[in-house]
Amino acid sequence: MTNRIKEFRARFNITQEELAQKVNVRRETIVFLEKNKYNPSLKLAHDLAVVFKITIEELFLFEEDSQ
Amino acid sequence: MKKSLLVFIVAGLLIIGVVIWITTSSTILKEIDFLHAGIITTLVAFAIFFGIKRFKSEKRKEPVEDEMSKKIIQKTAAFSYYFSLYMWVFIIFIKDRIAIKMDTEEWIGTGVLGMALFFAITWVIFYFKGIKNDE
Repeated sequence: MTNRIKEFRARFNITQEELAQKVNVRRETIVFLEKNKYNPSLKLAHDLAVVFKITIEELFLFEEDSQ
Repeated sequence: MKKSLLVFIVAGLLIIGVVIWITTSSTILKEIDFLHAGIITTLVAFAIFFGIKRFKSEKRKEPVEDEMSKKIIQKTAAFSYYFSLYMWVFIIFIKDRIAIKMDTEEWIGTGVLGMALFFAITWVIFYFKGIKNDE
């Protein structure tokens, strides 16, 4: 799973710290999310999508299982 | 009371405890005592790092703990417990097979310090590596 948090953050011109405050997490959680080192809970994914006014599917990209 | 202050108090008490232990010890310190002191120093350094991190979070007015930090702690606890079981088996195995003779209390102290060290090392690994649910 990858995400477009960094892209949308740049588009909305907000810092990692501001985004962290909006969704009530630590700044380093945003850093880890942007580096794809952490998968958020459904609630955090929803909160982030609300901040960027998009759907979760638009913010998080789910790769199909290549089986 | 601020949570970061609590971490510094615990670290301070640990340092005071070690100083009292070394200064009031009636016997000459053995090699294992220096190992214990080294592990305690590492743990104090870890606690101070942890405390500074929390202090900075409080200063930035962000939550001291969030879902990621809680998940890191949970995974760290699970892994360090798992490794600790092997460590205790190893301690039981080598107890009578090494030249250094220690009392039961000293072995237990070594084991407890080992558990704490495992916890600190595992936390550092997960903190810098990150955790993903799908792994």
